[in-house]
Amino acid sequence: MAEAWIRGKSAPLEAAIVEAANIVARSRHPVIAGLGTDVAGARAAVKFARHVGGVVDHMHSDALLRDLDVMREASMMVTTPTEAHVRADFLLLVGPGLIEAWPALPERLFGKRRIIWLCPGAAAVSAGEYKNVAVLGDNPADLPAIVALLRARCAGRPVASAPVALATIDAVAAELKRARFGVAIWSAAELDRLTIEMLCGLVNDLNEGTRFSGLPLASADNAPAVQQVAGWMTGFPLRTGFGRGVPEHDPWRFEASRLIDSGEADCAVWISAYGARRPTWKRDLPLVVLTGNPSTLRTDVTITVGRPGLDHDAVEYLATTGTLAAVSARHPEAAASVASVLGKIITKLPAAPPC
Amino acid sequence: MLTRLAGGRVIDPANSRDAIGDIFIRDDRIVDAPAGGTVDETYDISNKIVMAGAIDVHSHIAGSNETMGRLVLPELRSPVDGFHPGHFARPAGTWNTFETGCTYAAMGFTTVVEPAVLPHQALQAHLELADIPIIDKATLTVLGNDDFLLNLLRRREGRAAIRDYAAWTLSTSRGLGIKVINAGGAAAFKDNLRVFSLDDEVPEYGVSSRAIVKALQEAVHELRLTHPLHVHCNNLGLAGNVETALATIEAAEHLPLHLAHLQFYGYGKEGPRGFSSAGARLAEAVNAAKSVTIDVGQVMFGQTVTISCDVLRQFNARNRARPKKWVICDGDSNGAGIVPYEYNTADFFNVVQWAVGLELFLLINDPWRVFFTTDHPNGAPFTAYPDILALLMDRDLRAKWMSRLPKEALEVTTLSSIAREYSIVDIAIMTRAAPAKLLGLKDRGHLGVGALADIAVYSPGNDKAAMFREAALVFKSGQLVVRDGTVRHAPIGRTLRADPVCENGIKARMRNYYQERYALSPEFMTVADATIGKPDPFEIVPCLN
Repeated sequence: MAEAWIRGKSAPLEAAIVEAANIVARSRHPVIAGLGTDVAGARAAVKFARHVGGVVDHMHSDALLRDLDVMREASMMVTTPTEAHVRADFLLLVGPGLIEAWPALPERLFGKRRIIWLCPGAAAVSAGEYKNVAVLGDNPADLPAIVALLRARCAGRPVASAPVALATIDAVAAELKRARFGVAIWSAAELDRLTIEMLCGLVNDLNEGTRFSGLPLASADNAPAVQQVAGWMTGFPLRTGFGRGVPEHDPWRFEASRLIDSGEADCAVWISAYGARRPTWKRDLPLVVLTGNPSTLRTDVTITVGRPGLDHDAVEYLATTGTLAAVSARHPEAAASVASVLGKIITKLPAAPPC
Repeated sequence: MLTRLAGGRVIDPANSRDAIGDIFIRDDRIVDAPAGGTVDETYDISNKIVMAGAIDVHSHIAGSNETMGRLVLPELRSPVDGFHPGHFARPAGTWNTFETGCTYAAMGFTTVVEPAVLPHQALQAHLELADIPIIDKATLTVLGNDDFLLNLLRRREGRAAIRDYAAWTLSTSRGLGIKVINAGGAAAFKDNLRVFSLDDEVPEYGVSSRAIVKALQEAVHELRLTHPLHVHCNNLGLAGNVETALATIEAAEHLPLHLAHLQFYGYGKEGPRGFSSAGARLAEAVNAAKSVTIDVGQVMFGQTVTISCDVLRQFNARNRARPKKWVICDGDSNGAGIVPYEYNTADFFNVVQWAVGLELFLLINDPWRVFFTTDHPNGAPFTAYPDILALLMDRDLRAKWMSRLPKEALEVTTLSSIAREYSIVDIAIMTRAAPAKLLGLKDRGHLGVGALADIAVYSPGNDKAAMFREAALVFKSGQLVVRDGTVRHAPIGRTLRADPVCENGIKARMRNYYQERYALSPEFMTVADATIGKPDPFEIVPCLN
């Protein structure tokens, strides 16, 4: 059974839906944020935002847009986790946070292949827990320089100084060029944009002589799937607003926390169906929360929803395949889904203004 | 509910009809004139032309690659902001699903085939298609660079094994037909080959591109699929590649074969730049090869984005991206490349490409075997269709265009010597009757009794492009969806799929294969009705008897 609260007091689901609709209907600039949800929930959220002239943003947009920025400002070669699994003879792991981003990484990709990890920052790796992983660089702060040095040395250019021995850099550069199908793996949550761009430039350069590709690890809370849904339904990535009747995308203008803390937005719908992630904005404003795990967050309306793929069937991004796939509920519950709750709230709202 | 479209010129080549007359619609079907009784609603369409809804056999409108194109090209000249000098107009290939359905419908299109769905990514393609309103859709499943098929060929397992595998993949991915894209080329690229032709062999497998195409052509034939194997040849875009296309046409032999966007293979090596039109030669070969059908992939000038599963070609083209950014993906089988591109009227090569497309349209005699496409968005966005139709129907308009294009480029083509003009009946064949036949859609592409009431009504005028850009009326499954070029109603369409017989043994074999190769169950590829999130999302097109 779905549980709901209105200003901290337990309430019937129907009443919570009506109150949520009232709150959104009063708003002049609502933000639909968090967006930790399945594909059906993301579709409903985009439809909802279009209906109310709101903004859609995901809790992990920073990392999503960092990778996307490199793609759309520079260029990128990528491969799939499955192709890396069957073909890669060499992995270049770049920076910390990789196993946190994809816990199955060692099991899926660490088997019988040569692996070099630049600045892993993780004790387990540094201590040599993974036998075929060689480490270069112990301080993540050196990573941008190391990636740049590798790119320079792969291109046969002289370099002035290095945080690690040049001979080591040259040895790794030689390995990169020797790989038959190398794959560079990173997590955008841990790297800055220019380091990712330098790395993708290195990958592109390596393709002059051999085959090399990139594998950016996905952000959590189904972020890649939600990004895809926004892409096909609006024509734009996340951080897209419908305030002027047509979808407009701007990574600065439509950042949920900025909109709220600056006072531009006057209402938020926060969606975190996978767990109890909390918003990062600081200002209080009328707040409707759809969550898989209610917390002590102060809200006007809280509605519990099922966890996608656990409590109800869902379509989600699978890190293992790099695709959208249907996932059957592991413990089917009579839980409401984000899509069904948003769908009900919409029916209680005034008709959308003609665009 | 009985609706009468009264007094229009009915152009219905599938039923050899071209006469003033009425069309009656009951519910979603075209019916006979009622013997008596009442007509609920009448539309006076005198002085207008009425045709079946148009069918596009090859337009990249959905899937993860298209959405990648959307994501990497956010440049926007919004209707609100007007022109910002730092930005160019938003490439049409990046439209969202809603705009895609509405824009197609406004032109009188009611069925569109998304021709490149990789089996592992089929679910996303179908989710996107379900969000494209009004029009019906279908997909082609891409095979020919997949390890399983290449292994079947290497081990010479024979036709039955290939047929079972093709049936399983098609049925899993819910495609209407099968396409091969640069057969073996993507697999070869993973092994660091940078050029790949019809008789080259894929390293490790020792299987030639030709063998892959022939095997799939036979499998499609034996499965009795309605649509022949849809082929994207090797060497797309390269000078001298007409030889590849000619060899592929010859390889079709007596079985049906559809060659996609043939314009991109109509290039010789003559002339001052070593790049010339071979359109006339290619058209002649198509005219002679009766089992072959082609679509053109016409180029039009302007900004677009090329989106292709021919990863080898896109990799080689990446440094010519306009603007300078691209994404190349080494996929599980074919992969993909997103390369923005602007076709320029001052560019020698682009002008030759534009002329080659028109030469193919005009020099292939049989409008039942040449199909109207731009390979959207690769040659041009589908919004360019009305302008292309006008060029085909009007030699003076072509002359006017040519007078503004560089002579040096036109001189390596034969376009200026061609006088043919398409008639409106030719257009109805090419965009309605013939595609329905090519795809095996018996109740579409015509206006006979029993046909689905997908109907487009146009107001003829001197400006033919204007006529095709904004249909006067469009009915989808009997519902009025467009009036005067404006969408009035956006119902949900369906996706057409084949339902080939799947031998039981193949399912177990594929489970074992996926376990062994990927340490995964193939379940992740499943596309189920319930997953789509729309009621009754699929319609089955029966296989041939």
